[in-house]
Amino acid sequence: MSKFADFSQPQRQSLPGIVVMFANTLQKSVRAFWPILLIWIVKIETLNKFFVFGGITVAILIIALISYLQYYFFTFHIDDESNEFVIQKGVLNKTRITIQLHKIQQVSINQSLIQRLVGVHKLEIDTAGSDKKEASISAISHDLATILKERLINHSQLDRSEIAETILEENTPTSFIKIGLLSLIKIGFTSNYVKSFALLFLFFTTIMENLQQFSQNEVIDEDKVTSYLDKLPILTSIAIVLGSIVGLVLVVNLVRTVIKYFDFTIQKSKQAIILTYGLISTKNTLLNPNKVQKIKITQNYFQKKFDVTTIEVHQASSDVEKVKEKDKIEVPGCTANERDAILNLLYKKLPTREKLYLPNWRKLAINSFFLLVLPLLISLILVFNTKIITWKEWILYACVFALFSGLLLWFSFKNYKLFVSNDFIIKQNGAWDIENNIVEPYKIQAITTQQFFWQKGTNIGSITLSTAGGTISFSTGNYTEIKNLVNLWLFQVETSEENWM
Amino acid sequence: MTNFTNEAIEINELPKFEEVQLRGLHSNYLKVMLFNFSLLIILVLGGFATVFVLKKDIFSINVWGSIFVALILLLGLIVFFTKKSFKKIGYAFRSHDAIYKSGLISETTTIIPFNRVQHVALHQGFISRKLGLASVELFTAGGSSSDLKIPGLLLEEAQKIKNLVSQKINPTAERIESEPTAPLSTDSNE
Repeated sequence: MSKFADFSQPQRQSLPGIVVMFANTLQKSVRAFWPILLIWIVKIETLNKFFVFGGITVAILIIALISYLQYYFFTFHIDDESNEFVIQKGVLNKTRITIQLHKIQQVSINQSLIQRLVGVHKLEIDTAGSDKKEASISAISHDLATILKERLINHSQLDRSEIAETILEENTPTSFIKIGLLSLIKIGFTSNYVKSFALLFLFFTTIMENLQQFSQNEVIDEDKVTSYLDKLPILTSIAIVLGSIVGLVLVVNLVRTVIKYFDFTIQKSKQAIILTYGLISTKNTLLNPNKVQKIKITQNYFQKKFDVTTIEVHQASSDVEKVKEKDKIEVPGCTANERDAILNLLYKKLPTREKLYLPNWRKLAINSFFLLVLPLLISLILVFNTKIITWKEWILYACVFALFSGLLLWFSFKNYKLFVSNDFIIKQNGAWDIENNIVEPYKIQAITTQQFFWQKGTNIGSITLSTAGGTISFSTGNYTEIKNLVNLWLFQVETSEENWM
Repeated sequence: MTNFTNEAIEINELPKFEEVQLRGLHSNYLKVMLFNFSLLIILVLGGFATVFVLKKDIFSINVWGSIFVALILLLGLIVFFTKKSFKKIGYAFRSHDAIYKSGLISETTTIIPFNRVQHVALHQGFISRKLGLASVELFTAGGSSSDLKIPGLLLEEAQKIKNLVSQKINPTAERIESEPTAPLSTDSNE
């Protein structure tokens, strides 16, 4: 392996890349033709075996040929004269992608299952702003990828001798934080219940629908299940159903978290912070502290007891119109110490909570009206008119709802806080999962204040701060205080010499 | 950053955005607003008229009468509220930021510091062009929610504002080279 690989001449991807391309093309074809394939599989008895297997062989050969041609015509190089990274590809339609080196924002090296099997990596290049062209090399050896990444990122700032130095340093980055399996298990057990439940629900409904389409008689005999549950006492059957749902959600949560974030490592090198994680496909992302716009720290009651938190880092979005998933980096399950270390790394100091601002009590009143009183009134009218359930039942349900909703409302009001210090704005909110959104004042892009005409008498208003990585808003606060804050933040933004990105 | 202290500055002594005298939009822009609404009204009226001509029987004459009265009332209300909300719109340019205030029911004030503006655009709609009006839009990196559009400016004025903002953001444009701010300075006539 040469540390000074020459990128000035067009070169192909690494040879095992053909396998990756073959797999990708095969996957695409299967995805496109799966209904036909499914029919074939179901009706395999009635079809002529010779034609089926002959057809499949021919198809695979064609795909293999296409993959080879794709590999053959795909080249990349760095044009040193015009300072551009150039990718040429296409079998029939030739495409030439050129990216100016100084426009490159982020270069990430990832590995999917197939790429891991043949020992290659995928290199993705993310560019800034309106230029939406994005390029990726789907099969490149890890050493070459690392060198290319450094070349692409450092090219605009450094001359070559310096690059060599940084590469040497980059090759031995200091391991900074490693999230253990235990923390992941803790996080898996305590978060994303709703998301996993939705996933499960979707999964089961699609499965049931497909099964019912396949065969007219249902595969799972619903009557059998219901009659089995009927035999048991009501409470036991409810417990069984609830228990199995909760158990499944927990298991799905756990598996998802562990697969996605297995072996989560944060490494610090001279230029940037490198995150590596994933069990089946390894992700490798560069994080540039200058690009961080907003940090969200989430923790609920259980997680507090277990000493785990989730940190979300929102970076300046390369595509302003839609915030992409990859601009949001999640660090799951770090302890309080690790959290502080990460914040220190990104902000060079710990965010402090200094001046506290609280919402007006009317926020609680208004939310209670819309989320507690109004639903109860509607259900009352409904029951009064249609008598679908007895009054006794209504009182029972209403009490449960009122208790649940009331608790949520109260806690979300109690947790709704805004902390302002010289260098940080922290907004806390949430009833169960308590979120802390942290923004530095000089990263504010625009400020919007808003007041309804009926709020003028009570001097209440809201404020929204826009950053390149998302917004923060604080509603139903003292409008005079808010206006003072706006003046302060405008002063800070307008006098700040620091580059927001 | 570490030697930057802000303690000495009294919050109350900072320039107050809420006390800035805002300028209203050009009175011709009210016509544009009314025209936009009248298009909608014409569509609704046209719809009812077609129904009236083709299937007169589905409503009794009383219902048709009340629909007519309701439409007239609606038209009056729209004119009334458009006028009211037109009066609420105001904008101002300070030496470091742009302020735009609007809204009848919900009064919204948006402020964009010039050192966060990515680029400036000048728009002219069909009606606006006939009336010699234009709008100026300031884009930031904060997404569409933080972009600022000031409509109803005289074309000359709008061009002046655009040039002013372009000049204000030029030093930043040089620092972040290759931002699309560069072509804007081409039509500056200073």
